[in-house]
Amino acid sequence: MSLAELKESSVTFQLEKRAPTSLWRDAIRRLLRNKLAIVGMVILGVFLLCALFAPLIAPHDPLEQRLVLRRQPPSRQYPFGLDDLGRDILSRVIFGAQLSLRVGVLSVSLAIIFGTLLGLVSGYLGGWADNLIMRLMDIALAFPAMLLAIAIVAILGPGLMNMLIAIALVSIPTYARLVRAQVLSVKAQDYILAARAIGVTHSRILFRNILPNSITPIIVQGTLGIASAILDAAGLSFLGLGAQPPTPEWGAMLGEGRFSMFTAPHIIIFPGLAIMLTVLGFNLLGDGLRDALDPRLRM
Amino acid sequence: MTRYIVQRLILLFFVLLGISVITFTMMHLVPGTPADVMLGEHATDEKVARFRKAYGLDDPILIQYLRYLSKIARGDFGRSVRTNFLVTEELAQRLPATVELTLGAMFVACLIGIPAGILAAYHHNSFFDLITMIGSLIGVSMPVFWLGLVLSYIFGFRLHLLPPSARLTVGVELPTITEVYNLRAIFTGSFGNKIIALSDFLSNFYIFTALVTGNPEAFIDALKHLILPSLALGTIPMANIARMTRSSLLEVLGQDYIRTARAKGLSERVVILVHALKNAFLPIITVIGLLLGGLLSGAILTETIFSWPGMGRLIVDRVLARDYPAVQGGVMVTALLFVCINLLVDVSYAYLDPRIRYE
Repeated sequence: MSLAELKESSVTFQLEKRAPTSLWRDAIRRLLRNKLAIVGMVILGVFLLCALFAPLIAPHDPLEQRLVLRRQPPSRQYPFGLDDLGRDILSRVIFGAQLSLRVGVLSVSLAIIFGTLLGLVSGYLGGWADNLIMRLMDIALAFPAMLLAIAIVAILGPGLMNMLIAIALVSIPTYARLVRAQVLSVKAQDYILAARAIGVTHSRILFRNILPNSITPIIVQGTLGIASAILDAAGLSFLGLGAQPPTPEWGAMLGEGRFSMFTAPHIIIFPGLAIMLTVLGFNLLGDGLRDALDPRLRM
Repeated sequence: MTRYIVQRLILLFFVLLGISVITFTMMHLVPGTPADVMLGEHATDEKVARFRKAYGLDDPILIQYLRYLSKIARGDFGRSVRTNFLVTEELAQRLPATVELTLGAMFVACLIGIPAGILAAYHHNSFFDLITMIGSLIGVSMPVFWLGLVLSYIFGFRLHLLPPSARLTVGVELPTITEVYNLRAIFTGSFGNKIIALSDFLSNFYIFTALVTGNPEAFIDALKHLILPSLALGTIPMANIARMTRSSLLEVLGQDYIRTARAKGLSERVVILVHALKNAFLPIITVIGLLLGGLLSGAILTETIFSWPGMGRLIVDRVLARDYPAVQGGVMVTALLFVCINLLVDVSYAYLDPRIRYE
C-alpha cells in the first residue's frame, strides 16, 4: 500500500465507519483483482454457457451422420469440420462441455462428501478409528490414481457412470486427509473447548463449528480437483473405458479420431483444445481462490 | 531415521497386502463368475466344473485368497488368458519399457524445466518470466494423450523427424546381452539360469543393452524412438519443475547470505548457480520425486498413443480383453513400483535435508 493510499484510507476511516467485511466478500474482492483468475472464470463461463444451452447453441445435431462429407476439414458451414462419420465436430464439442463439466463436478462432489465425512470422523474421534481410516487412505494413495481408476473400471465395467464412480473413489483420500488435518488444528482451539464445556453435542460441534472452519481449503482443493477429474475422465474415455460411442465426450472423440488424424488432423485438434482450456480454467480459478481465501498459502 | 525406515517398511507391508486384496477382489467382483469370464458364456457345464476344480474356485474365499497370496509372493501370476504366456514373463518384458519411458520423461522434464525456472527467476518479472509461467500453466493443463497425438502428427507424420511409435525400427537388430556375451555357455546350473534370466530381463532395457553390447545403430534408433513419448509424458512434470525451481530460487534469493555474496562482488552467475541453487534444490528434488510416481499414471496413456509396449498398455489392453491374470499382475507390479519410488524419495529426502526429523 502506498503512502497516498494509506492516507486516503485513514481519512475515510475518520469520516465514516466502514461496515465490517465478511470473509467471503473480502475473498471475492481479492479474487476479482486477480487477472489470471478472471481469465479462468471467463473461460469457464463460456464452457458453462455451452453446457447449459448446448441444444440452442450447437448448429447441428451432434449425432447426425453425413457419411458423404466425412472427415471434411473446417468450412464456413462446419467451422470445426466433420469427423469420421460425418458428424459436426463443433456441435459435438459444445455438447461435450455438458458431459465433461458434469463428470468433473459430480465426481469431485461425491469425493468431497465422502472424504469430508471420513476426515471429520477420523480427525475428531482420533484413536483406532483415525488409525484405521488413515491407513486405508494410505493404501489407496499407494496406487497411481489412473491405475486405481482403471482397476475400478475393470471391476465395474466400462461406462460413463462407472468412470465417474472410479474417479470419485480415487479422489476421496485427498479430501479425507485435508479435512482431517483441518479438524486437528481447529479442534485444539479454545472456542471448541468452550463449546464442549457448555455441553454442546459432538455432532453439533462437528457440523456447526468445525466443518465451517475447514471449508476454505476444501473449496480450493475441490476446484483444482475438478481440473484433474476432467483430465482423468477424458483419459479414461480416450482409452475406451469411460464414455462409450457415440456419446460426444471430448476424450472419447480423441480416442475415436486418433486413427484418422493423419489424413484429417482437425478431428483431434478441437476436442483436445476444449479439454485443455477447461482444465486451464479450473486451474486458474483454483489458484486464484487459494490466493483469495488464504493468502498465507501462497506459493 | 532407522526407526522411520522401519515404520515405512511396515506400512509398505500393509500397503502390499491391501493391493493384493484389491487385485484379488477384482477377479471375484467382475460381473459373472471367473469361469464365465475365462471360458466364455457358451462353455459346457462339464468344462466349467473342470475349470472350477483346476483353479480351486470351490474352496472358501479365504483359502483362495491365501493361495493367491502365496503364489504372487513367489512371483507367480498364472497364465494370461489371452496369450497363454506366463504373466510374469510378459511383465518382465514390459516393465523395462515403462521404466525407460518414465526415466526418459523425467530427464526431458529436468533438462528443460530446471533451466527455464532458473532463467525465469533470474529475469524476475521480465517478458521471459511471464512466458515461462504462462507456458507452465498451459503445460499443467495439457492432456498428455492429446499432446502425444499432436507431437506424433507434427514430428512423426509431417516432418518425418522422429518415429511416432514402437521402441525400435523393424529391421534394427538388438541381440540380448545373453546372446552377445554367450552367457549360456558360461553360466550353467540353477544359479546360472538365474543369471541368464536376469540378463534377459536387463536386455529389455533397450538403451542400456545397446550401450553394454556396443551396438551404436540400435542405440541411436532406440533413443530416437524414446524422444517423442518422453516429451509428451514429460510436459506436465516439466511445467511443475519450472514453477517450483522459479519460486524456490526466488525465495532463496531474498535471503541475507545472498546479499552478502553479492556484496563480496561475486558475479550474478556464481551467486545464482553456486550459492542460491544449492539451497533452492531441496524443494525441487522433492517435487521431482513426487512427480516420478505420478508419471506412472501418465505412462498408461502415453504408451497407448505411441504403441509403446509397456505395463500401461498391457493393463489397458487386457482390461478391455478381460484378461484378468494379466491385469492383476500388471496392477500389482505397477503399484509396487510406485510404492517403492515413493519410499525411496521420502528416505532420500530425509538424508538430503538434515533439518528434517521423522518421529
